[in-house]
Formats: sequence, structure tokens, C-alpha cells
Amino acid sequence: MTYVIGKECIDAQDMSCIDVCPVDCIYEGARKTYINPAECIDCGACELACPEVAIFPARKAKGKAEWETFTADNAAFFTLPLPGLAGPLGDPGGAAGLGKVDADTPLVAAWAE
Amino acid sequence: MKEHDAFAHRTACDLTIVGAGPTGLFAAYYAGFRGLTVTVVDAQPDAGGQVAALYPAKTIHDVAGFQGVTGADLIRGLSAQAAVYEPRMVFGQNVVDIVRDEREAGLSVSLEDGSSIDTRAIVLATGVGGIRPRILPLGHGWHGRGVTYVVSEPESHVGEDIVVVGGGDTALDWAIQLTPIARSVTVVHRRRLFRAHASQISRAEALGVTLLTESEIQAIHGDDFVRAVVVRDGSGSEREIPADTVIGALGLITAPSPFSAWGLELQDRKLLVDSAMQTNVRGVFAAGDASTYPGKVALMVTGFGEAATAVNNAAVLIDPDLSLFPGHSTDEDLEPPESVPSSEAVPAGRDA
Repeated sequence: MTYVIGKECIDAQDMSCIDVCPVDCIYEGARKTYINPAECIDCGACELACPEVAIFPARKAKGKAEWETFTADNAAFFTLPLPGLAGPLGDPGGAAGLGKVDADTPLVAAWAE
Repeated sequence: MKEHDAFAHRTACDLTIVGAGPTGLFAAYYAGFRGLTVTVVDAQPDAGGQVAALYPAKTIHDVAGFQGVTGADLIRGLSAQAAVYEPRMVFGQNVVDIVRDEREAGLSVSLEDGSSIDTRAIVLATGVGGIRPRILPLGHGWHGRGVTYVVSEPESHVGEDIVVVGGGDTALDWAIQLTPIARSVTVVHRRRLFRAHASQISRAEALGVTLLTESEIQAIHGDDFVRAVVVRDGSGSEREIPADTVIGALGLITAPSPFSAWGLELQDRKLLVDSAMQTNVRGVFAAGDASTYPGKVALMVTGFGEAATAVNNAAVLIDPDLSLFPGHSTDEDLEPPESVPSSEAVPAGRDA
């Protein structure tokens, strides 16, 4: 299982989650941060750290349309070929080495609220 | 390697368990129940692994027999259960190598202090890896020369200019603890908001701690020891702050164990095991989050079952006259443990 970052993060990007993640699996996009579901160990440290209350566990998303959408979208950040990148990010095994990814998923890039 | 290593002591036991998290502790209990002599090694100073380091206060709802138990209480219970058979506990040591000695049909586990353990079998219960403080980006080379990650002796910082890096409770706790004895204390945090409790932030401000947000350390200056740091704030302007000690409070990070170098087969960074929980190296077993196999479900509860499977198979490997089935624990004539989890069970359905 994994934790997921929802819409509250878009353009807020406090990034406290990145500071507390013990496996460095939270990646910084242009407008939002994303948790890599393959690298997340489900510890929940990010959920407690987020001042935007943007983070939830994927297991609680079932039946909640918005959370289900963002659960799929967090995964998509790593599986889709993002604009300006040669191919999908995949599972880089740590965000610190990668640095900021100056792109978002189509859902987040087009997000207006 | 250090000079004294050649004389470093060797110990021996039947089974060596690497990792004192829930899986490793339960493996230690089971190995004791099987009559094996046991050594448990863990990189941390205390038992509990990920549970103790990352979520001691969280309520866990999926441990069989408990509607809800906190991480800390569960670890207390597991430690007490394992302690019945008096395993040798080695804390604060990383395993640096595992060597199979074909002639003696045994294994040897090397620790970072140069000592080694001769053992008949090993259970790797290393979970997500060793848990260590996150290193300051510019801290390499300054460790022990003014850069530190723990405040073990506050009195050694009397009269110093101190810079704490981080924005969580640990950073603020250390700042508050050191302010009365230090010349100055500055907390440098790269984010806009502190994660620490609001009450801790106001307390630090009242004590005269300088709190800098949206700020990062750009350089560390010094000679034999740190003398100053250069801090850049959100507007891009830089200034030098005197510093005798720089304390990194950037949280904990896991470090994977060098399994490949020990000749162990991996799949998706986990140890691939068979139905006896044995790796590709005879005598080396794995259990819990460190292990994988088709259909694996990485939960603490499956780790308990895997620990029992690994230990009982290891017991037969160590002494082929033993049966794989351990017998029933109800037949053991033991005093009930003293410290069963102390908290009341919480109602089901509460948020974990």
C-alpha cells in the first residue's frame, strides 16, 4: 500500500512531507508533490507532517471519487511519459538524487480551482 | 580495518538474527523456544525497528488478538516475550559481512566494530533497512568536527554558538534544551512553516532562539572545527552566522543493507526466499519486510508467521535430529511474562 497526496498540495507544496519521508519516496513536481507507490513503505509520517492535510492512505480512498482519482494520479506521475522528459520516471529509488521534476501529470498541470 | 581488529573478539551461537524489529524479536522468541542459543544484532540503540523509530504512538489494528495496540506497547510485549530465553542482544552495530565457511559448514557474521559471530544459521529480519539520521547535505567531512546528529551530552555545548538544522519537534526540542547554556542558538529550516508543535515554537521564541524559515545552509566554514555557516534566506540574501556546533535534525532515513555483496539473491530489492524462508545461501533465512516470494503480503502479522517458519527450518538445519514442528508452546512450563502490553485495547474502527 501507499500514501497519496491529494489536490490540497497543488500550488501549496509545503514539502514538509519530503523532509520526514524515511525512504525518500516523495518527489517534487512543478505544482505538486507525488508519492511513489512502489517505494512507499506505508509508515504515515508524511500524513502527520502535511500542514495542508493533503495526504491520505490509499486504503481509505475506495469509494471516494476524488481520492481514487489522486491515488491513480500519484502512480501516473511515475508511469506516464511526462512533458519535457525522455520517458517515464519509473522507480528512481530516492528523490534527493533526482531533484525537482519540472513537470506534472496532465490532471495536475491543467488543474484550475 | 582498524589495527586491533585481528584481536577483536569472536562469539558463537546457534542462530544469529539481524534486526530487532517485530519480526526479529519474534524470531528470537521462537529460537529460544526451540532451545537454540541466539544473538540479535541491530543498528539502532534500542529494539523496535521501524515501529519504534517511526510510529511508536500509532495504534495498530491488525495484530492478531489485539483490537488495537500502540507500536510502543507491542514492542514492549515482543521484547519481554523474547527475553524469557535470554538472547544476547547487540545494539548499535551494523552487520558488515556474512561469510559462509564451507569446511566448517558454518557461517560468520562480521560487525562494524571488528567483532564477529560464528553461527550455524542466520535470520535476516532487516525490514526496510537500517534507520539513520539524514545527513546534512554539506555535512560530509565535518562529522565529529562540529557537525553532529545527536545531543548526547548537552554540557559539552556550554558557551557555544549553535545552529540547529531542521523544522520538526526534534530540532525545536534541542534548541530549547541548549539555549540556557549556549551563547546563541539559531534554528535554520528550509520550509515556510515549522512542523514542530506551535507551543514549542513560542517557547523557543520566548527563550531567545533565532528561528529562520525558508533558509538553507550554503556553506560551512572552519579549520579543524566548524567556525561559521553561511545561510541563504528565501529572498536569496546570504549572511554568515558564527557556529561552534551544527546539529542536523533532519529526521531519519532508511539505508538498505548490502545484500548483493553478501551473495544473496534479490528481487525488487528484497531477499528472495523459498517456502522455508531460506535465501539462495544455505543457512541464511529471511523474514518480514526484508523478504519476498510470490504472493508476499508485507505486513507485520505475516512477518511473525515468516519468523516462525524461518526459525523452525533453521532449527532442523542446525540439528537434523530435531523435528520441523516445534511442539506446542502451551507445553512449556514458563512463568507468564511480566510486561504484557499495558494500554487498554481500543475499540475497533479508530483511526490508525
